[in-house]
Amino acid sequence: MKLLTKTSLNFISASVLFFLVGSMAMYFSVRNIMAEDLRNRLLQQQNEFIYTAQQNNVMDLVSELVFVQTTQNKQLYSFSDTVLITNEKYMLYRKLDFSYVQNDQDYKVTILISQSESDKLIMKIAIMNIGFAMLFFLIMFFVNRHSIKSALGVFYSTIRKLEDFEVTQSSTLSLDTAEIEEVKKLNQVFEKMSAQIRQDFISQKEYTENVSHELQTPLAIISSKADELMQADNLSKEQMEQLALLLETTNRLSKINQALIFLTKIDNRFYTEGSTFSLNDLIKEKLSLFKDAIQDKNIKLKLDLLDITHVYMNPYLAETLIINLIKNAIVHNENGGILRITLNNQTLSIANSGSPLSFDEKDIFKRFTRSNENKKSLGIGISIVQRICDLYAFNIAYSYADEHQFKINFRNNG
Amino acid sequence: MLKKHNILVVEDELELAKSTLAYLTENGFSPFHAKDLKSARKLLKQENFSAVLLDLGLPDGDGMALIKEIKNAKNEIGLIIVSAKDALDKKIEGLELGADDYLTKPYFFPELNARLKSVIRRLNLEVNQEIILNEITLLPEQMRTLIHGEELELTAKEFGLLLYFVSNQNRVISKTTLGEFMSSNYADYGFTDDMVYTHIKNLKKKLSGSGCDDYIKNVYGVGYKFTVA
Repeated sequence: MKLLTKTSLNFISASVLFFLVGSMAMYFSVRNIMAEDLRNRLLQQQNEFIYTAQQNNVMDLVSELVFVQTTQNKQLYSFSDTVLITNEKYMLYRKLDFSYVQNDQDYKVTILISQSESDKLIMKIAIMNIGFAMLFFLIMFFVNRHSIKSALGVFYSTIRKLEDFEVTQSSTLSLDTAEIEEVKKLNQVFEKMSAQIRQDFISQKEYTENVSHELQTPLAIISSKADELMQADNLSKEQMEQLALLLETTNRLSKINQALIFLTKIDNRFYTEGSTFSLNDLIKEKLSLFKDAIQDKNIKLKLDLLDITHVYMNPYLAETLIINLIKNAIVHNENGGILRITLNNQTLSIANSGSPLSFDEKDIFKRFTRSNENKKSLGIGISIVQRICDLYAFNIAYSYADEHQFKINFRNNG
Repeated sequence: MLKKHNILVVEDELELAKSTLAYLTENGFSPFHAKDLKSARKLLKQENFSAVLLDLGLPDGDGMALIKEIKNAKNEIGLIIVSAKDALDKKIEGLELGADDYLTKPYFFPELNARLKSVIRRLNLEVNQEIILNEITLLPEQMRTLIHGEELELTAKEFGLLLYFVSNQNRVISKTTLGEFMSSNYADYGFTDDMVYTHIKNLKKKLSGSGCDDYIKNVYGVGYKFTVA
C-alpha cells in the first residue's frame, strides 16, 4: 500500500466515523428541539381552547384538528403521536389529550398538530448537513493529498535514486535537499550508508588486487630463479627434474591464485558491463582456439548449432564460460572420443566421451574437485562456469549417460 | 643481431629486476634498471632505448603515467607493461594509452624475450624484417619459413614454436614454459604437456625432412633446448 493511500484511507475512515456520529447527534438534537416546539404549540392551543371554552359550549369548538368527547376520566393529560388519513395520505400528527370540565360534565379534548412541517424541516437540515459534509470531505481530501504529496516529494525522489544506485558505478549518491526534518535525516543516513558501501566495495576490490600483486611477485621471483638455475651446464637429471617440477608447481600456484581472484571478482560484481551477441558466433570463434588440441587427441567434433541464440552478458565472462566448458570437455575426453556441442531452443549442451566420475556427481561444481587421473587439472574451471551461470540466473546441470554432459539454459536471462 | 638493444627495466622488486637484467644480458640485450618513476624518467633522458619493460605498481606512483610520456617522446620505443594485476580494465587502459604488449606476473623469461623481440621487430620493420639463422630464414610478418632457401609449410603453432626457439637459443626451456606459451592466455593446463610433445615432434619431423639440422634437443625429458654452436 502506498503511503499516500494509507494516509488518505486513515483520513477518510476517521472522517466518515466522525460524520456518522455527528449527524446522529445533530439529528436527535434537532428532533428534540422540534418536539419541544410542537409541545409548546399544543400547550398554547390548549390555553386558547380553555380560554374560548369559558364563553362557549365545548362541543361548538370541535374543528378539523380539535376533537371533544365525553368521558368518565377526570385526570387526562398525555402527549402522543398519531396518524390520520387525509386525502388518502398518511399524515403524522402530534396529539394532546386532556380533560375539561363544563357544567359538571367531563370531556376529553384532543388537539392535533401536524408534524409534516417540522419533518420537512428536519429533512432539509439533514440534506444540507450531508451536502456540506461531502463538500468538506472532498476539499479536505484533496488538500490533504496534495500537501502530503508535496511534503514527501523529496522522499519519492530518494526512493527513485536509491533504486538506480549501483555500487559498482563511481558516481556518488546525491539526494535532493529536503525541508521535512525526517526526510532530511533519512537522506543523510542513505548518503552516509551508500558512501560506506561504496568505500567497502572499493577496499575489497583493492584488497583483491593487492593480494594478487603480493602473491604474484614472489611467484615471479621463484619461477625466474628456477629458470635461471635450469640454465647451468652441469646439472644432473634429478636436479633438472626437480627444477622443472619447481617451475611447474609455481606456475600452478599462480594459476590457482589467478582463478581465485577471478572468482572473487565475479562475486564482487566486477564484470557488470554487458552487451548482446550471438552465442553461435562465440562458440565457433572459441572452438577454433582448440583446433590443435582436438586434433592432437583425435577427438571427433559434432557441432550442431540449430538456432541462433542471442544472450546479454559481459563479453569476458561469456568467453570464459565457453572456453572453460570446451576445455573441460577436451581435457577429460578420451583419445578418439566425441565432443558434442549442441545449441537448441536456447539450451547449450556440451558433452564428451569418458568413463564415469570418480567422485560424487554433486561435487562437480565444487572448487578443487577433480578426478585422480587428472592431477594437472586445477579443478576450478567448472566452479567458474557455475558462478557465471549463477550471476545471470542461467540454469546449469550435469548428467552422465555414456557421455559427460553439461547443459545450460540461457532462457532465464530476460 | 647487429646492435645491442637498450632495454629499460622499470621494476621495484630488486630480486626480480636482478634476474631479469641477468637474463636480458645473456640474451644479447643491454638492460638498464630503474626502481621507480623518478629514476626511469632520468634514464629515459640519458639513453636511447629500444624497449621499456614497465611494472605498473611502483613506489612513487602508477606506471600508467609513464606510458604517454614515453610514447610522446619517441613512438618507436617498444613498451611492454608488466603487472601482477591481472585486471582486465588495467590491461585495456594500458594498451589504449599506447603500450604495445602486456605481460602478467609471473611470466617466463623466454616468453618475455620472445615478446620483446617481437615488439622491437614490429616497431623497426625496416631494420629486421627477416630472421636468419644458418639455413633457417623466418619472415615473422608473413609467417613464412625458408630452409636452405626452400619454402617449408608450417602450421601457425609450429611457426610460433620455431620463432620462440630461435628467439631463445641455447637455453633450457621447460615444458611448463612451452605449454604456457602455446596455450597463451587460455591455459588452466592439463593437456599442454601432450600438446607440447606432439607439436615439437611434428616440427622436428618437418625440419629434418627439409634438410635442416636437428637444433631442438630434448633435455632429460623435462624441457627442450634450441642448440646453436
